[in-house]
Amino acid sequence: MTGYRRRSILRSAAGASVLASGALPSPAVHAQAKSPYDGITINASCFQTTYYEYLKTYLPQFQEKTGIKVNFTMQAFPVYNQRTDLELSTRGSAIDVCNVTFIYSGRWIGAGWFTNLDTFTKDPKYTPAQWAPEDFVGGAQSAMQNAKGETFGYTWEAGAMILGASRFDLIEKAGLALPKTFDELIKVCDAVHNKEGVAAFTADKLHHWNWIPYLMGMGGAVFKAPPDNLTPTLDTPQAARSAEWYANLLMKYGPDGILSYSDDQSMRSQMSGRANIRTQAITWMVPLAKHAESTVQKTVRYGLMPAGPDGNFPGSNSHGLGIPAGSKKKEAAWEFIKWALSKETISMIVEKHGYPSVCRLSVIKSPEFKQVLTLNGQDVASLFLEVLQLGGKTGYMKYRTVPVYPQVGDKINKAIERIATKQQAAPESLKQAQAEAIQDLQKAGIKIDL
Amino acid sequence: MSIGRVAHDTDRFAGMSSTALGTIGRRQRRFFIYCVAPSLAVLAIITLLPSLYLLVTSFTPLNLTRPETQWDFSHPWQSYRELLADGRLANSVWVQVKLSFWTVSLQLLIGLGLALLLNVKSRLLEALRTVFLIPMVLPPIVVAIIWKVIYTPDISPMHGIFRALGWNVPALITDPQWALTSIIVADTWEWFPFTMLMVLASLQMMPQELLDAARVDGASPWQLTRHVTLPFIKGVLLVAGLFRLIDSIKAFPLIFILTDGGPGNVTEVTNYYSFLQAFNFSYLGFSSAITVALLGATVVLSWVIIRAVGWGVRVD
Repeated sequence: MTGYRRRSILRSAAGASVLASGALPSPAVHAQAKSPYDGITINASCFQTTYYEYLKTYLPQFQEKTGIKVNFTMQAFPVYNQRTDLELSTRGSAIDVCNVTFIYSGRWIGAGWFTNLDTFTKDPKYTPAQWAPEDFVGGAQSAMQNAKGETFGYTWEAGAMILGASRFDLIEKAGLALPKTFDELIKVCDAVHNKEGVAAFTADKLHHWNWIPYLMGMGGAVFKAPPDNLTPTLDTPQAARSAEWYANLLMKYGPDGILSYSDDQSMRSQMSGRANIRTQAITWMVPLAKHAESTVQKTVRYGLMPAGPDGNFPGSNSHGLGIPAGSKKKEAAWEFIKWALSKETISMIVEKHGYPSVCRLSVIKSPEFKQVLTLNGQDVASLFLEVLQLGGKTGYMKYRTVPVYPQVGDKINKAIERIATKQQAAPESLKQAQAEAIQDLQKAGIKIDL
Repeated sequence: MSIGRVAHDTDRFAGMSSTALGTIGRRQRRFFIYCVAPSLAVLAIITLLPSLYLLVTSFTPLNLTRPETQWDFSHPWQSYRELLADGRLANSVWVQVKLSFWTVSLQLLIGLGLALLLNVKSRLLEALRTVFLIPMVLPPIVVAIIWKVIYTPDISPMHGIFRALGWNVPALITDPQWALTSIIVADTWEWFPFTMLMVLASLQMMPQELLDAARVDGASPWQLTRHVTLPFIKGVLLVAGLFRLIDSIKAFPLIFILTDGGPGNVTEVTNYYSFLQAFNFSYLGFSSAITVALLGATVVLSWVIIRAVGWGVRVD
């Protein structure tokens, strides 16, 4: 009896409130609701980088605009990739937006772990025309697409490998210019090495990124014909010659301990004036001229990556933002991507922070961008565009987005280390890398020409 | 309980038949099982189930990028066959043997030596004991970062001193001749206090009568150590050695931070190789097979050591 009474009272109360909500005028707060996502919280996960650091400071603007709260977490690059790889594979809903890492893009997108964003961009209900998905640099975007051309991420960074000489004054003093070929690079390194205690060259330990332009410049390749034929081609005479040459460049002209250098350590060695030349993505080069702690702001100069006898193949890459397939808040996540990669947000980050490697053509071609990337009188913005276009032309960067590149890249890193430390001769070390890579690719079910 | 009551109970049990005593015994056993069952259930859930899953996974080619491989038992021994054909794994086992041998030996020797020296009642030495414990209580990542600084020539105080002395010492962690030694030194520094602590505790429990009796018999300090102290602490040394051996097989933070297994594969131990296979390449099936083999090897090795060395003297 009591239960019945309680149920009746509750039912009456609920009915009365429904009637009241329809009959009475809505309260003011209801009328002022900003968006259908008001009060939603999404989880975003990315690796540590200056772009995300800057973006994080503007998150209150996003929350103000959409009512969506963002839990934004960042981890170190390798940690982020490992964690995300595992999380995506479970198709869990813990992450709503995350970074689509270049080297993992083929694997993550190929495995169906990301949401097809075409459903959002092609529907004006979600994406207004002025957001302009076609404004993103095509070469950078290609890493975010599958074989059918469907898009699973939008890029926030287009990395373009250039040459930066932190102590160009030493090169000038030796009567030389910035090197344009591999031979000239060795000549310059010979002339300036250890002058005023400055090592001529520096690099980080990610050889499977840093060495490849030198490998291709000498006529070598990582795979036979990526992405269709992934037979490794690491045991060719060209690869051996190039690996020997590169290992010599590191050990003869690099600072002591160069083989253990991380990205940041390598940049710091240039910023503090302990090392001179580095060939790396522009993101790591601009701080030499702009960072408050840089001691080489006045002496740094930039140039294109030197060319080898077989051509110039500067590395280019891109990282994007995507929505994991398991996310339960996809629409709110898309709102975040739309805001984070809008022309307005990107322009703001370029203008306020001097961020160099953006992916929207309209921003790259703007006078503000050119002004931000005019460093010591040099038009670095043009260098950046030139590299992006080079990468897009022949598609030589396709080797890097194949799903099995992490495995093969590991073999390359180990091979270069063995050669540089004289544990093995180049042909022998690369032969071992080739055998290990084949074994690994077979384990992954990849067909190989034998 | 009064003496009279005990006597009464004893009389009562004395009068019981063997059937009644058997019933009490069964009830006691059942009570014991009920008490232990929750702990066993928790243990089974948190330890045995994951281990069982590891074992099951090792019979599949589980690859995170290929979901169809998860319960594929069509070639259950495939990963184990691949283990035998993997040269890099064989190298990692050899690196593991060298690392374990040197770190465990050095930690036992240094720990034992310092414990014998510090086993004296003195305020200064007691303070010193605490100082020696610091490396062991630091988080392993902090230890790795400390040694990264020490081994990086640009910022290293050690290399600074070498330079000031005019010695040209190469970067140790990138030199194939020195990389493993560098890890051994760092690991020994971190963990010798553990052995020292265990041996010290054992020494302080040693009955003074044993030493006095030996002294009365005319034993020299060396003979006291050789014939009295060492047999007494043998069991503790064995336990400390086993702990360190098992921990050395689990070596990870130092290698991850200092060398990444390099240069080349000079410092790549089996545990680290297994980690790479699982988390960098997504070959979880293969990685599970490595881990199962490693687990089996650790259990067998521990058993052999216990059988060979014995638990030492037991004084009641």
